[in-house]
Amino acid sequence: MSLPSSAHSSIVTINSSDINVTIEHFIARLKRHQIDGPYAMALETLQLLKRFISQARWSHVSELIEKIRQLANRLEKAQPTAFACGNVIRRILAVVRDEEEEELRSNSPQAASSSVAEPMISSMFNLLQKPEDNQQKQQQQQKQQKQRSTKTRTDFRQVAIQGIKDLIDEITNIDDGIQQIAIDLIHDHEILLTPTPESKTVLKFLLKTRERSNRRFTVLVTEGFPNNTAKAHEFAKKLAQHNIETIVIPDSAVFALMTRVGKVIIGTKAVFINGGSITSTSGVSAVCECAHEFKTPVFAVAGLYKFSPLYPFDVEKFVEFGGSQKVLPQMDPEHRLDTLNSITDYVPPENIDIYITNVGGFAPSFIYRIAWDNYKQVDVQLEM
Amino acid sequence: MAGKKVKDHPKDEMVQDDRLQAIVLTDSFQTRFMPLSYDKPRCLLPLANVPLLEYTLEFLAKAPVKEVYLVCSAHASLISEYIEASKWNLPWSPFKVFTIMSPEARSVGDAMRDLDNKGVITGDFVLMSGDAVTNLDFDKFWDFHKKVHAKDKDHIVTTCLSKATQFHRTRAFQPACFILDKSDNRCLYYQEIPLPSSKLKTSVEIDPDLLEGVDEFVLRNDLIDCRIDICSPLVPAIFQENFDYQMLRSDFVKGVLSSDLLRKHVYAYITEEYAARVESWQSYDSISQDFIGRWCYPLVLDSNLMPDQTYSYESSHIYKEQGVVLAQSCKIGKCTAIGSRTKVGESALVENCVIGRNCYIGSGAIIRDSHIWDNTIIGNNSVINHSIIASDTKLGTNVVLNDGCIIGFNVVIEDGKELPRGVRINGTPVKNLEDNGFGLSEDEQPEEAPKNTDLEIAFEFCGSKGRGYLYEDPLSEDELDSPIGEEMISGLSHRLDEVYLSDNSISSVTKSKKKRTMSTNSVYTDREDDPTEYEDEEDFGIEGVATVKRAIENNHDLDTALLELNTLRMSLNVSYHDVRTVTVIALLDRVYHFIATQTLGPKDATNKVFARWGPMFRREAFDPEEYIDLMDVLMEQVVLQDLEKRDLILFSAFNTLYDSDILEEEIIYSWWAHVSKDPKFDDVKKVVAKWVEWLQEADEESSDEEEEEEESEDENDNEVGSEDDR
Repeated sequence: MSLPSSAHSSIVTINSSDINVTIEHFIARLKRHQIDGPYAMALETLQLLKRFISQARWSHVSELIEKIRQLANRLEKAQPTAFACGNVIRRILAVVRDEEEEELRSNSPQAASSSVAEPMISSMFNLLQKPEDNQQKQQQQQKQQKQRSTKTRTDFRQVAIQGIKDLIDEITNIDDGIQQIAIDLIHDHEILLTPTPESKTVLKFLLKTRERSNRRFTVLVTEGFPNNTAKAHEFAKKLAQHNIETIVIPDSAVFALMTRVGKVIIGTKAVFINGGSITSTSGVSAVCECAHEFKTPVFAVAGLYKFSPLYPFDVEKFVEFGGSQKVLPQMDPEHRLDTLNSITDYVPPENIDIYITNVGGFAPSFIYRIAWDNYKQVDVQLEM
Repeated sequence: MAGKKVKDHPKDEMVQDDRLQAIVLTDSFQTRFMPLSYDKPRCLLPLANVPLLEYTLEFLAKAPVKEVYLVCSAHASLISEYIEASKWNLPWSPFKVFTIMSPEARSVGDAMRDLDNKGVITGDFVLMSGDAVTNLDFDKFWDFHKKVHAKDKDHIVTTCLSKATQFHRTRAFQPACFILDKSDNRCLYYQEIPLPSSKLKTSVEIDPDLLEGVDEFVLRNDLIDCRIDICSPLVPAIFQENFDYQMLRSDFVKGVLSSDLLRKHVYAYITEEYAARVESWQSYDSISQDFIGRWCYPLVLDSNLMPDQTYSYESSHIYKEQGVVLAQSCKIGKCTAIGSRTKVGESALVENCVIGRNCYIGSGAIIRDSHIWDNTIIGNNSVINHSIIASDTKLGTNVVLNDGCIIGFNVVIEDGKELPRGVRINGTPVKNLEDNGFGLSEDEQPEEAPKNTDLEIAFEFCGSKGRGYLYEDPLSEDELDSPIGEEMISGLSHRLDEVYLSDNSISSVTKSKKKRTMSTNSVYTDREDDPTEYEDEEDFGIEGVATVKRAIENNHDLDTALLELNTLRMSLNVSYHDVRTVTVIALLDRVYHFIATQTLGPKDATNKVFARWGPMFRREAFDPEEYIDLMDVLMEQVVLQDLEKRDLILFSAFNTLYDSDILEEEIIYSWWAHVSKDPKFDDVKKVVAKWVEWLQEADEESSDEEEEEEESEDENDNEVGSEDDR
């Protein structure tokens, strides 16, 4: 909680008067990768959005939505492999759209009834049968609404800001929700393996389990060479300080040790609607593949804000690549060999058994339901 | 523009500590990027389609820097225009950018003194050059600096050194040796080592006093010096006091470290992050490849740091902007970046390249390892290997560019031309280095200014309808005779490094071109593998010239000078020919000095120097043959050093030597009879020819008149000659 607030204050000091300056500065920081981790990014984005909405002017709510979409688009472009910004803004968009719908329904009951009924019908038929109808209706609704808008208008600013506040609350308390479930999942004398040592959620998950249930278990931490070795060591140290038996293992030993492992726990950076996820350490995919081979359950922990409504059609676009000199530092100047060093890794849904979120545990095949509960389909594509 | 409109910053908690300033030296004070730096300053040349200066500013943007001062000398107006239009001038820029014009600065030292005079610096500041590419974590560097500063009150500079692997390409450009205190990384001594290709013997001499009180020290030459320093405000003042300091490293750091009076300390911060400077075309090439290979992560091309860029990343390091048109059958190989609105034709092959915006690559073209800047048209079936093509250039069909070509702005090359390796062509003629405002190189000596011989369009390369002027490196001319051969021209880079080397010492002639031998651990092993006879010669060349110069400067008597020279000769076992050569070089240098400072005209200067120091040759040449050799050497060196009015100088030198009885008539005649017919000596020989003619006439006359008095003949002649002269 303290981290993002201090970071936020640093933005404000740059220039507190003009919202555009603040946005541009935030975008510049995103481009420079100066914001570390999805957690801080989500909170900072929400703070920015709060200021943006409180200063924005609009005559109709669709204008507000358009403005927010534009902002989200710019933030997403600034760092295409960071999903937190887009996710949280889409959540707020969904809140605003819900409110808009709500208002429509209360204003015109006949339209409302149809709009409520529609989503219940199977979508395929819907797609083929009634697009024009739907559009016409919406246009009518909008006309009607515009006529009335002067009289009865809910305060969307208030709605959006309340939504943001709720979301900030949710994000800052995310670990509590996850930990509640954690206790039931880890058994006594179990051996756990985690290939994502930089995940704070995983760390808290383990510490809480140890604290609350007083169960004894062993944690194997993969080293994450070359990008994450230091973090892995730090992670192991923290666990050891809390009397958890911790062993750092080389990445190559995973296959040999998998038979002894009871559960694999991974942290995630983003979860897509197909149930696949991006993890912030390379090599996780291999570990999960291995676990799949040995039928070892893989638990992925993720806050709800990491759920992204995108579908990973092109995994390469979502995975981030870092400097190759870490993998192969020595290079003959004449015969250059370029290696790829992926910093993040994509884990396909079939290699994950269950997602543990702050709203409960879900199978990967169910993720799309959770996503559509929180996002609107129209906001998936932010580009105009 | 000299911006002292320092705004007060509303950051109360940052006031004392974090209001960091940065001084960026945009000028390199070198000519290594000619001919392209003739049209554009080096820091605005694009590296991977991003101007070089952006990398520096991006680095500073991550640091808590609040004010950035760009010190501009060459092309200053272009730089300030660029900054004004850039995102750094917008309200959300993390710092304020000011450009400081200091057009008269000719070196880092001058720039620092200028800064001190302007009173810009208020506290600790970052000093770096405008061509660094780095992903250094500034915060750690800054913490290190603060920690050291708290501990050591005499600490004035923290310099950032990046640890390089043995094979790292960027380390070969300015090899230097750092001697560090092992316990706290205090820099004890600094010495530049000659490039391995120069075959000079490397030794590091340390004054034992410097090592006093040091338990353990390390001697390292595996560090890339990326010239990023955090300096205390004392630094400009030290430059002010020591007005002879020119270079940041070889003068300032070395001076501070070995000075008993200053007692200041320099610390080194050693990092493993990527840090390198674009110093030459070779480093340009390798840093560009590193950048494309994401070595500088998170500073990568697809971060789209320029506001209008739209790069996206694809596997195997391919970057494409929006709006790139690729033909279906073209092949885009690994490590390639392509700017927007560029079209690549059918079955073209592009690999390991950076291609700018609005380019057109014709069908069937093959482009490898090259850098192609914006708005370039490359005709069908052209082949381009490892070359640099600047903006707005047009290549016809079937053009072949071989390894190491550099094609400047606005060049047009006709169909079917093939350019040999290492050709450099510019769209505008590069006239005189001094006219164009770029004559600010500390290495360049005015006597080496290029002659205006290349000012016609290079039809040979561009074709009759083409446009482009051949650029010959003025410094490489003297080397064309040396047995370097083709190895010399081995690509855009190697060649340039060779050239750069040659201007440090006039006498050093690069004998052969060898690739860097891979030894990092020992400074010595590099050369001990191949003990060639050149080493001694090379060494003697430098040392000898230095000895004679010293003698001249301090006005030693002849005997002392000769004694020193002789000692050197014997210790290195070189021939008298070499001794004569170095003496001639040193004397000519002195002559030049007088001319350059305009104290004396060429003739008077030569007379003065050769009258005073000419007698040295008596003890360096002993028989007629050797005197003839001396004359040859003199002529050769006069030509090599490319002095102004060299014919006059040569003549005056001969005449003075003749007057002081060092050269006898017979010797002059026999030399003249066998003098080299090389056309390059033709113009200097003109005046000498007249002189010899005159001598012969005078000789005949005197022998006619005074047949009996043969003994006094010479003296009479001398008198007549000198009277006529004056």
